[in-house]
Amino acid sequence: MSTTTPPRERPRQAAGQAVPAQHQPTAKSRHSQRWLAWIFLAPTILGMGLFTLIPIVASVVLAFFRWDIISAPTFVGFDNFSEVVQDPTVRVSFLNTIVFVVVAVAFQLGLALALAIMVQEKMPAWLRVFFRSAFFFPLILSAASVSIFMRYLFNEQFGVVNWFLSLAGIPAVPWLTTPGGSAAVVILVYVWQNFGFSFLLFIGGLASIPVETYEAASIDGATGWRKHLHVTLPLLSPTTLVASVMAIISALQVFDQPYVLTRGGPGDSTRTAVMVIFESAFQRLEFGQASAIGVLLTLIIMAITAAQFRLSKRFVFYQ
Amino acid sequence: MTGATNGHLREITRRTALGALGAGIIGATVASWPRLSGTDIPGRGDNSLSIAIMGTAADAAARQRAIDAFTRLHPEIKVKVQAIQAVDWKDFFTKILTMVAAGTPPDVVYVATEGAQLFAEKLAHPLDEYVRRDAADMREFFEDVHPSLVEAFMYKGSLYQLPMDWNAANMYYNTTAFAQAGLDRPADDWTHLDFRNSLAAMRKARPSDFTPYYWTNRLFGGVVPWLYANDTSFLKETRSSGGEWLWDGFYANDPSRSLRSGGYQWLEPNANDDRVFESFDYLRGLVKDGLGVRPEEGGGSSLVGLFASNRIGTTPAGGYWVQGLHEAGMGENDFDVQFFPRWKTQRHQFGTAGYAIMKTAKDKDAAWEWIKFSSSREAMELIFPNPITTPARRSMVNEKLYAGKGPANWKVFYDTLDRFPTTGPIPAPPQQAAVETALMKNVSLAVSGDERQLKQALASMQRDLELALRRQS
Repeated sequence: MSTTTPPRERPRQAAGQAVPAQHQPTAKSRHSQRWLAWIFLAPTILGMGLFTLIPIVASVVLAFFRWDIISAPTFVGFDNFSEVVQDPTVRVSFLNTIVFVVVAVAFQLGLALALAIMVQEKMPAWLRVFFRSAFFFPLILSAASVSIFMRYLFNEQFGVVNWFLSLAGIPAVPWLTTPGGSAAVVILVYVWQNFGFSFLLFIGGLASIPVETYEAASIDGATGWRKHLHVTLPLLSPTTLVASVMAIISALQVFDQPYVLTRGGPGDSTRTAVMVIFESAFQRLEFGQASAIGVLLTLIIMAITAAQFRLSKRFVFYQ
Repeated sequence: MTGATNGHLREITRRTALGALGAGIIGATVASWPRLSGTDIPGRGDNSLSIAIMGTAADAAARQRAIDAFTRLHPEIKVKVQAIQAVDWKDFFTKILTMVAAGTPPDVVYVATEGAQLFAEKLAHPLDEYVRRDAADMREFFEDVHPSLVEAFMYKGSLYQLPMDWNAANMYYNTTAFAQAGLDRPADDWTHLDFRNSLAAMRKARPSDFTPYYWTNRLFGGVVPWLYANDTSFLKETRSSGGEWLWDGFYANDPSRSLRSGGYQWLEPNANDDRVFESFDYLRGLVKDGLGVRPEEGGGSSLVGLFASNRIGTTPAGGYWVQGLHEAGMGENDFDVQFFPRWKTQRHQFGTAGYAIMKTAKDKDAAWEWIKFSSSREAMELIFPNPITTPARRSMVNEKLYAGKGPANWKVFYDTLDRFPTTGPIPAPPQQAAVETALMKNVSLAVSGDERQLKQALASMQRDLELALRRQS
């Protein structure tokens, strides 16, 4: 056994107490610790570099080239950006994406919050566990599989949804073949699959609100929804910020549901920004234009996220 | 620090743990290197002829008998079939292009009409030199295959593929639904108005839970057969010159020789043509009157089940449907097939498929040997033992193929080409994906609203097609 005390057995340093000179790390040990840190960081850095940083840089560079995979790329300056901005399909797809984000995120957060409050307040503990799992379950399913399944459910002629509506005397709704119907189905399917994550965040947030705060509010005469309006919502605001940032970033990148359910149609009514990136790159072989659209989408995501954090200073209440 | 043992386990130091971890990582990397580098993929790096087909591993396995037969003939050529799963041909081509981008293109690809010109323009190697060289061997093949199918694979005077199988958009009908509506088998030259009357009769007989005409929003079997029947299309169709070497060499005595060219060309949009409007308006009427569905984009995956459960009266499809209906439980007399209805013409739409040699193929001679073998009757009988498609060889479309499965009038399939020699391929220029998107995205809107909406949708289609054709041109 060695004569020196192993580091984990050293007595804890009291706060403010001077470190004895013999315990100061030497230059050699600092050097080796630095190497050790790099060794531990290396897999992450390597992975991030290979699979995130290089593709980001490559796609920014590619945005200035015309490239169809097969021929050599040619430099075209800002042509891709100007073509993309003038392309009516791209413009519509960005507009659709923004509308989708506003509606889907509002619906997702509202539903998640309402259900979280209901589950947290009204359910016995064992049922809470069940609902937490049940609401989270759709998130682990493949979005493509869910969308294929939903496509059958919402079929105008033979779908189960219209069959149930017919029992109530409601005529068949052309869910996937009209602009309004298809947009509604895409939002519905997306929210159904994704609200579970926001729900879990809200459950965590609600659990962290001290019971005393509610008791104090009750003493002050607050009941029912007023309690939630004046206590729950302000105290949940940090959670709401995180949930909304994540929901917006995710919604801005929506692809699977509209691609499988409607292929972006009818017309361009459910075509989204990421769908246009996919179509430009892998169907039209215009990788430069696809990269240009990707760069624009990234800038929009960054701007929205920055705006959210900036606004959060006004609306988020930290205890 | 190193712990004394004294019969106890040695303490593991951080240094030891890190060393073990490092050794483990290096060991795992070395052990899994073939997987990481992809060299363990059968056929890679061993000069095998890599052949990509659309389908599942089961589809690849179904070709094993053909591969075995080929290997007996050419033991020096190793063959590896890669089955690539895809929703449709557009999806399949996307995956092939991804393989090209990744630097691992297959040597030979099974390409349908939808991608024939994309491959001819950018990826495939022409077969002219091989066909000329082996003309004596190939004569029997061309004698057995209708020239319309071969012409679909001509591009700017060169031949890029040999048709293996094909399908025309004929009209399937449910015989039970027809009988319930008091309808007989339609005449060979029934018109679009006769067709509409048949749908109305079926609707009257079965007012609910039934669709007289089910159609899909796709390039094949969607709106295009109606456009062809009305002697128009959403793209202007022209032909390129050339190809005499093939036609004079193999089809000199064919009655349709004068119709043949160096290949189809679709260079301009034609969605603003009056007949295109007329055709869409006809379909809009079917939807409005509850005779036909409002088509979903790319729909059709549930079609066989719905047809087999007697909930669909008619739908356009080709010979590829027979096996599916049989497996879904339909008897040979439960359904039948007829030519597509006549309008201005009775020109049909067809799609065909065959192998293309990639420009990047390592051994093009070996690739040609595979194609030549696959075009033989022996190979085609091994590959198409059931009516999962219509074989390109006329002699194989026979009673034996459809025995016990139907339809009673299976001769309609190949007769389509003989009776209507102007029958043409799916309009698919090299920009097929963009063109298909431009068509599909506007079809639902065109047939779902009023006349104003139809005009707007066609104007939008014209703009989208102009953009699609301008790109990459």
